[in-house]
Amino acid sequence: MKTKTFLVISGPNMNLLGTRKTSIYGEGSLEDIHRGLRARAEELGVDVECRQYNSEGAIIDSLQSAPGKFDGVIINAGALAHYSYALRSAIGAMLLPCVEVFISNVHAREEFRHTSVIAPVCVGVIGGFGKKSYLLALDALANLGAA
Amino acid sequence: MKHYAVVHGPNLNLLGKREVGIYGGRTMESINADVEAEAKRLGVSVEFFQSNGEGELVTFVQQCRGRVDGILLNAGAYTHYSVALRDGIGAAAVPTVEVHISNVYKREAFRHVSMIAPVCIGQICGFGAYSYILGLRALIEERLDPWLA
Repeated sequence: MKTKTFLVISGPNMNLLGTRKTSIYGEGSLEDIHRGLRARAEELGVDVECRQYNSEGAIIDSLQSAPGKFDGVIINAGALAHYSYALRSAIGAMLLPCVEVFISNVHAREEFRHTSVIAPVCVGVIGGFGKKSYLLALDALANLGAA
Repeated sequence: MKHYAVVHGPNLNLLGKREVGIYGGRTMESINADVEAEAKRLGVSVEFFQSNGEGELVTFVQQCRGRVDGILLNAGAYTHYSVALRDGIGAAAVPTVEVHISNVYKREAFRHVSMIAPVCIGQICGFGAYSYILGLRALIEERLDPWLA
């Protein structure tokens, strides 16, 4: 059986993880997250490819080219989660299972962060567990269809 | 050994029997068995509680204070309007993870609001029975922090 490969996309400002607002987003860098994901993927017997973009259009391009190459997507859209209808359409169009993640508990923050326009086109949402949110999402994707 | 409470709210006792298109065919008992197996694998213990009553849930959560190391809570419909449950979680001061079987954001607008989310560590929804497994892993931090090792 072919090994499943998942695409992990982090959105705007995630390249600054570990350097900005560490009380909200924690200490580790995005590279630390990617390292953790690769280790977890190995345990699960799957592959991951991790990418980061500040640009909304670049994320959409990446999602559009995902079908055929990947079996599912983990997305931390950052602030775009709350208003990017273009991103929502791109997720809906690609017809691959997508899991939305957040590092922080968005519901404990400003009101505008309580709404995610992409959540309705995702399989599910995992938020609030720091960088662990990504690992849980990988567990979730790897388990889809199993139970 | 760390000990966690798994709490099911209203109508979850009917899992596997009601609206299986939304909630899946798994019964609450079979989900509990999965959680129990995962807890064993992770070296922790769990207890289970289900009630249809808001007051009973509030009382149970209050009594978790100082007694358990974390709560895995599927508050069902109370999620969306129970300020009392929110206050109970806040008062218990026990790390709590909110879980849902369905992706509530795909459903009616009134389900997009969670009264309890701001007092929980985080939220997991949409993965069926597996939401509970992920929730338990989320509560048990050490295992999930390989980058800090």
